[in-house]
Amino acid sequence: MATAPLSPAPIDYRHLVQDGRLHGSLYTDPAIFAQEMDTIFHRGWSFVAHDSEIPNQGDFVVRRVGSQSLVALRGKDGEVRVFYNRCPHRGATLCQTASGNRPRITCPYHAWTFALDGRLIGLPDEGAYPADFSKADAGLTPVARMDSYGGFIFVNLIPNKLTLREHLGHATELIDALLGLSPTGRIQLSAGWMKHKMRSNWKMIVENQVDGYHAPMVHGSLIAANRTFATVRDRKPTSPTRVRDFGMGHSDIDHASDYRAANDKLFRWTGGIDPARLPQYVGAMNDAYGPEDARRRLIEGPPHSMLFPNLSLAEMNIMVIEPISADTAVQYTCPVFLEGAEDLNARTLRRCEGAMGPAGMLIADDAEIGELTQMGVTNLEPEWIILSRGMGKEEVLPNGVKLAGLMDETSQRGFWSHYRDVMAGSQENVR
Amino acid sequence: MTVTLLEPAPASGIDTKAVEQFLFHEARLQDEHRYDQWEALWTGEDALYWVPMREGADPTREVSYIYDNRPRLASRIRQLNTGVRHSQAPQSRLRRLISNIEVSETDEGVAVESNFSLIESRRGLMTIWAGRTTHLLERVEDGFRIKRKIVNLVNCEEAIGNLAFLV
Repeated sequence: MATAPLSPAPIDYRHLVQDGRLHGSLYTDPAIFAQEMDTIFHRGWSFVAHDSEIPNQGDFVVRRVGSQSLVALRGKDGEVRVFYNRCPHRGATLCQTASGNRPRITCPYHAWTFALDGRLIGLPDEGAYPADFSKADAGLTPVARMDSYGGFIFVNLIPNKLTLREHLGHATELIDALLGLSPTGRIQLSAGWMKHKMRSNWKMIVENQVDGYHAPMVHGSLIAANRTFATVRDRKPTSPTRVRDFGMGHSDIDHASDYRAANDKLFRWTGGIDPARLPQYVGAMNDAYGPEDARRRLIEGPPHSMLFPNLSLAEMNIMVIEPISADTAVQYTCPVFLEGAEDLNARTLRRCEGAMGPAGMLIADDAEIGELTQMGVTNLEPEWIILSRGMGKEEVLPNGVKLAGLMDETSQRGFWSHYRDVMAGSQENVR
Repeated sequence: MTVTLLEPAPASGIDTKAVEQFLFHEARLQDEHRYDQWEALWTGEDALYWVPMREGADPTREVSYIYDNRPRLASRIRQLNTGVRHSQAPQSRLRRLISNIEVSETDEGVAVESNFSLIESRRGLMTIWAGRTTHLLERVEDGFRIKRKIVNLVNCEEAIGNLAFLV
């Protein structure tokens, strides 16, 4: 675990994060990790859970945001609330399983009992407390701010100046694109989360989520072993695929730009399933959006993106990055089920297992490279990491979004530029 | 747990020693990364290699670590055989112990349950894996073939590291 530095000398993030190069200590220094938890995860907006994970009253999930354990819980009124996973009495952990359903929350220590909306509704021998003790003051503690977009619930533990919409910025378009693949506009994250322990810094996972450069090398073994994976998209440097920097640290690999280049073909994003094999889904999409718009959606497919700081809409998977320490993180992966697309969902589930998680034919190799990189950057020299591929050649759209080639490191520079603003800004405010 | 195939008492008439030897042989092929020989232990079709994330999971609705049919299993082996599957290059050093073997006859074939503990040594780290395995075996002329193999890891609900070797 990270510990606070002995002398809290300010860390100069404007020096450590430069345009096109990064200081290696950003991945290894426990003091930087501790500041990131506080500045990025506690003072910023972070993804915590999706509405569809807790559909019924009493459903809960336990999630970690920064260093904090939180419980997202659906009340009897149907509202989702997020509380700290801590009994207000003597501090015991309330929910010990990753998910579950309870009619009320009872602390295992002294059986203080809370309603699903957080109110303290009972405790043994209440009369022994002083006259000024009030149950109304001893309920569960909700997080300071929560808000949601498209069912994705975000929290901000120490309030900042941004609304969730301001934090998301252009990234709402990515969420819209994913939801727009469902005939009802809704997704379900009901298949459970793979939990993959990675011995690398959380930011390496962020960078890799939107790295268009590594696939032919890191995933060469799968390209050699699996024809579908080898041919489903153009991975050459000349690929029409763009990477995009949306600002606010959000970025993506826009595979749709490749798929559109061959616009007679639907479903390349599923590995090229014949539309005739998905009659229910295709029919429901045509009914919902009309044949022309449905066709566009089924060509373009889902986003392949990273939303600052911890949520990745990774095509038909949602991935969440949970930092543990400077050199350890857990990556969560859940396949995306589209409401009204049962025939596709069965395939999505099997594709997720083939590619993702600790045994996945893709991600196990990403985890391995992350570990090698973490070991590598522990060496003191060379001090700097080079991140300048394609720098200065980006196309800047009128709305500020930057476009670059598939293999350019524009997406990572987008993350780091926002990281620097957030981390340096916080330091400068303290001074 | 729903994946159990065993009856309460072992059926008679099965050569349990031969079953045991088959499991030990399979374990050694896995430990020594003899991928093709391990793949050859499987039936030609209708195979299932399943590592769930939760005991009693419904694999049609819940995601598993591994849920390989025969073509997917073949892909997995082809990938390992490239020698550049980074998560197994270098390969883990492995040795596993198989124990608590229980055998019964079912309509589908010979059902076997066993416990394993597996030590993985890789890059300076020793990792302990453990679990209970259910095999469904088909009798063939020269012994058995694996029709179904389900591996319930004791830590399947926790965050786990790379599981790119054959478990």
